[in-house]
Amino acid sequence: MYKRTRFYDFTYYNFIGSWAWVLHRLSGLALIFYLSLHIWVINSLTHGEATFNHVMTFLNGAPFKLLETGLWGVILFHAFNGVRIVIVDFFKGTLVQKKLFIVLIAVAFVLWALGSYLILQHVQWRAG
Amino acid sequence: MNKDFKQTSRSGSVAWLLQRISAVILFILLLLHFISYHFLSQGRAVSYQYIVAKAGSWWFPLLQFAFLITALYHGLNGVWSVLEDYTAGKFWRLFWYGLLLTVGAALLFVGTLTIIKLYTLPVA
Repeated sequence: MYKRTRFYDFTYYNFIGSWAWVLHRLSGLALIFYLSLHIWVINSLTHGEATFNHVMTFLNGAPFKLLETGLWGVILFHAFNGVRIVIVDFFKGTLVQKKLFIVLIAVAFVLWALGSYLILQHVQWRAG
Repeated sequence: MNKDFKQTSRSGSVAWLLQRISAVILFILLLLHFISYHFLSQGRAVSYQYIVAKAGSWWFPLLQFAFLITALYHGLNGVWSVLEDYTAGKFWRLFWYGLLLTVGAALLFVGTLTIIKLYTLPVA
């Protein structure tokens, strides 16, 4: 019988596909957590212009915008690995799934850089 | 055979298929959602005036609503499929499923209300 030696044994697990599976789950859980927060926070923008600007000043500071580039990265990973899953499941992509992963993540990385540039342009530096 | 497996005898293939269909829709909606708040705002962060200006267009609030329901469905269905891997027994399956439905209903309510209020903001 197979006996686990460590807390988590990666002996039969250390492949692109299995890591993609783990990261897809973790990023998915992170994203539903973010979505809940996002719905909650955006709701506080609906209480008039003064509150809107107050909340937005808080959210448009450099720390939140940096976090937002991280979020954009997690989203793109999940989205482009998701494209790979759809190709594997419906378009016989199993034989090229590793190549697919590398190509799609490369595309995601380019989009991440472009999107992060847009996000960081929106940083509102507080007038000193 | 472990009797717990009987609780998972319904294959869940419909949820599996819908997860992929919603994924494809979400992929497009997500890019539009991102573009609408980070690209169309032309180099500046979204302002009160930007939201008020977009309220007049029929597609802008509709896009955000379509994004909301697709993201919520895909997200909660995803959490359910993760939970299914670690949950056995009628009680816990019902418990988690009920919890996800409740959370989903609450988020759908708050989200819909937000979109309606945001795109009917008073013009200052």
